[in-house]
Formats: sequence, C-alpha cells, structure tokens
Amino acid sequence: MNKASQTLDRVASATAPASPSRRNFLRGVPVVTAAAALAPTPAIASTGKQQWAMLIDVRKCIGCQACTVSCIQENAVPEGSFRTVVSTYSVKLTDSAQPAGTYVLPRLCNHCDNPPCIPVCPVSATYKREDGIVAVDGDRCVGCAYCVQACPYDARFINHETNKADKCTFCAHRVDAGLLPACVETCVGGARIFGDINDPEGELARRLKEAQPQLKVLKPELETAPRVFYIGLDERFTGKVEGQGTLWKPRSLPHA
Amino acid sequence: MNPNIVETLNVAREVAWLPWAVQYFFLIGLSYGAFLLSLPGIVFRRPGWAGISRLALLGALVCGLAAPVALLADLHQPGRFWHFYAYFTPSSWMSWGAFFIPVYLGGLLMYAWLAFRPELARHAQSGGKLAGLAGVLAYGGHESRGALKAAALLAFVGAALVALYTGAEVAVVQARPLWNTPLLPLQFFITAFAGAVGLALLFNRFGPKDEAAKRRMAGVLAASQVAALAVGALWLALGLSGVSPVHAQALAEVGPSANWQLSAAWAVAATVLTLVLAWRRPGSGLVIGLLALHSAWMMRWSIFIGGQEVPKTGAGYYTYSLPLGPEGLMGIVGTAGLWVFLFVFITTLLPLDRLAAGNTDKAAA
Repeated sequence: MNKASQTLDRVASATAPASPSRRNFLRGVPVVTAAAALAPTPAIASTGKQQWAMLIDVRKCIGCQACTVSCIQENAVPEGSFRTVVSTYSVKLTDSAQPAGTYVLPRLCNHCDNPPCIPVCPVSATYKREDGIVAVDGDRCVGCAYCVQACPYDARFINHETNKADKCTFCAHRVDAGLLPACVETCVGGARIFGDINDPEGELARRLKEAQPQLKVLKPELETAPRVFYIGLDERFTGKVEGQGTLWKPRSLPHA
Repeated sequence: MNPNIVETLNVAREVAWLPWAVQYFFLIGLSYGAFLLSLPGIVFRRPGWAGISRLALLGALVCGLAAPVALLADLHQPGRFWHFYAYFTPSSWMSWGAFFIPVYLGGLLMYAWLAFRPELARHAQSGGKLAGLAGVLAYGGHESRGALKAAALLAFVGAALVALYTGAEVAVVQARPLWNTPLLPLQFFITAFAGAVGLALLFNRFGPKDEAAKRRMAGVLAASQVAALAVGALWLALGLSGVSPVHAQALAEVGPSANWQLSAAWAVAATVLTLVLAWRRPGSGLVIGLLALHSAWMMRWSIFIGGQEVPKTGAGYYTYSLPLGPEGLMGIVGTAGLWVFLFVFITTLLPLDRLAAGNTDKAAA
C-alpha cells in the first residue's frame, strides 16, 4: 500500500460529512501524489479550534525508521540529530521458545498541553500555538538550551546549523497547508495517526475513543499532558528505560 | 540495570550546556563567595581580616568579570543576548538571572572601586606600572565609608539573588532528577564559598606570607567542609531512606553507575582531606586552597556534564568526551586565559603584596 492510498484510506474511513480538517487533508493529498501546484489551503490553525495530536499504535510499528528518514528529509535535520526516531530494544522473552524479541517505540516531541519547555525559555521564544503545536520562534531563540534541559522526553536539541533549539513541529508547515506530518505520510505500518483531537467525527478521536482502556502516554507522573498517545506501550518503556545502554550511536557533526 | 532489555537503537543526545556553563557557574560562585569573604575586613573592619578581605575582593572582581563572558559563550546565539532584556519572561529563572547579574556586578564594581580608591592613589604616587591609569581611576583617592557601605549593600543583594537564581535555575529542572533536589542550591553555595576561601588562600601564598591570615582562613575553610559533608550526608540519607522521593530518584539515577560511584568517592575524599588538613595543619594554605578550588570545579563539572550524560528516556548513560575546540577544551582554556589577563591587569594597578599587607600594618585601613 503506498503512502497516498494509506492516507486516503484513513480519510475515507471517517463517516460523512467530512469535517473541515479532513477536507483539508483530502485536498492536500494531490499535492503529495502529483505535486500539483494547488493554492495553499486556508491556515486551519488560525481558527484555534483544532488541537492536533498523534496516536501511535506500537503494535503496528515495524521499526523500519521510514519516519525517521522522512522527517530528516522534510525538515533538513542535520546529520546526527533527530526530531523523531524509533527507539529499538531487544527484550528477553520468558513465555516463548524464542530467546528474545524486538520492542520498538517511536519517539518525538509530545506537544504537551503542560509543556515544561515553555516556562523556562528566558525570552519566550518557545510557545504553544492555538492549535496545540509547541513551536520555537527561531528569530527570537538565543540558543541557551534551557528548554533542551527541561524537556523530559529528550525531544529537543541544539541544531548545529542554525544554532537554535530544534524539535519536532508536527510538521506545522505541512499541517498549515492541509497535509499530514511527513512521518505519518511515510509510516508503512499505519502506526501513526494524526488529527484533530477536538473533531469527534475524525479518525484520531474515534481511534482514541476505541483504544481508551489501553491508551498510555510517556512519563504520565510528570503531568505534562502529552498530545502523543500510545497503544501497546509496555509499562517498562514509559519512563527512562531500565536496561543496557544503546549499542549504536549516530555520528555527530563537529560543532560549528 | 535490567539485563533483560538491551537498547539496540536510539538517539544519543549531546550535552547542550557546554563546559562554558561549568566555567560560568564556577566563576560566578567563586565571585559571590569571595565577595562575602570581603565583608568582614572591608565593611565591618573586623581585626585581622583586612588583608584577607582585600584579597577576597580581588578574587571577586577577577572571577566576576570573567564569568559573564563564559555565560555569553555558552549561548549558541551570543549576539542575541539583548533578547534577554527585550523579552523578559518572569516564569524563567534564567530570565531573572539576566537582570540579577548586572545588579551584582554593578554593586561589586562600585564597592571594589570605593574600597580600592586609596590603594589606587597610593599606586599612582609610587609611580609603578600603569601609575597614570591608577591615578585617573583613583579620582582623588578619597575614602567614603557611607558610599562604600551602600555599594556593599547593593552588591550583597545582587550576590544573594545570583546565588539564588543559579541554584534555582538548575534545581527546578524536573526532567533531570539529579538536578531536581532542593538541596542543590545549598550545595552550590557551600562549595562556591569554600572555593572562594581557597582562592584567597592561593592569593595569600603569592603575596607576603601572612601566617595569621592563613590560619584564620583555614578555620573558615574547615567549617565550610563540615557544612559540605553534612549537606552531602543529608542528601544521601534522604535518598536512601526514601523520605524524600526527589532525592531517592536522584540517587537511583546515578547510584548504579561505576563512574558516579567514583565521582562521589572522589568528592567525599577530597572534602575530608581538605577538612583534616585545614584543621590539623592550618599552615598548609596552598594545598587546601587548591583542594577547595578543585572540589568546587569538580562538583559543577559532575553536576552539569555528568548530569547531561543521563538519558531522560533511553537506557544506560551517554558517554561524553571533551572536544578540543571552543565547545570543549578551548572553552575552559579560554576562560582561564581571560581570568589570568584580568588578574594580571588588576594586580598591576593593585599589587598583591600591597593588598595583603592590610593584615599586618594597616588593619584599620
């Protein structure tokens, strides 16, 4: 299944009448598939009604890192830095003939509703948009990295090409144009579902409701109210993982 | 560590507060600590403290002037420092800090100038190096006690605010359990003050050797080491007993690591050694001075660089190796170079031996 039809399936699965946000997505699809020069859709964020969120169905993730790569491509993330990544773990099995299994956990900025990165910023460069996306004003950021320290999810970093705080934006530039985030578009397993949490007819809200009993967020005890939800999140992976450290490290560029 | 889980793929986040930050917290701590040590002799005119307090004030000046440069260099956009003043954000301790630093440094510069004016005039008269500049700076060389006390009060308020914000800024970071303890600001303060005593001892070694001053400082240093050990023991007790969940979490985060166990053992051993030497051999001024400085620096290095080696979500620890460029070793060397330049410049105008002499022949100067 290619990514465009996947998107279409997801959009089509919602019941009629389609909400403005889904119409926007639908309108955006040809832009991806045919790169047609459509006029940009009205900025849906400006209404302030949408609250973007993501649901990650860990059971469907195959750990292929297509999201990681598409994010780097879409956002020109410098080598050695990542806005999203699929953390991968080898876990010893006790209830199977197999000695070990693989556990994968896609990570990205949680776009918290109570984000610890915002109050610490000394110049108010990081802020929450009306649509819930946590963003950084690159013209104002002084690169002090206080937000990098304050994020409990290790989601932020200093971009050595811009010398500013960097993080996942839910691909705000694409969302504003009525498109899905790059990682969602690329996900081969359909593990990432993106949408408006306030749209009861939308797929995201519907899937969140269906999954309610098993819905989890990372580090719930910090009360950051993440807007990234997980299905199939193993308890052992909700916080700092207790295990042997990573076997592989990305090569980082020497600092500018 | 749970041996049943092995992380095979994840992001290793780099340290984002660089060695520049360690240098800043080290120098600004030494500065406010040394400022406090300058008060008994200069403001309160305690007998036997004049020389100590002048040397301490020299230390406060040199460290206080070098510190903000390190802080600026730690910004990845140093040219935008004015944003701190254009976009004040009251929810951020760092934002407050941008206002506290000038209060402290402004007060300190005025206080130091008022305290050293007569010395500057003396240097101008003696006709030594930069005597002309000393004469201009002395601006008559009068002593004005009222103004001196007012400037000292302003600097004191600034020093208290700087000590508060540098501690709170780090302690409020919930995402890093090692930092997120209420005892951390107190630990910063105690080690900073001990380091400042160490700095004054170091200066005293290179001025005219004043045994009485050395012994007096050894006593103060011993007391600071007792305080450091007591707070350290309290930290450990709170962590081990589980009485305080934040301390237990901080301990759990670093306890299993062999590197951290070594760091902790090193810190305790250095503190005990400083205490024993300061108490039993108060004449070992240079050794205990260097030990105290080393402990103050090591504590900050471990907290900042070591603290950033603890992944927030991933397993195990990140490994840090010091880069040789401006983002690493050159940051440390560069700050040290600036410090040496400031020291040479200020002691040319205010020769060390003349500052230290206050203890012996000019106790009431």
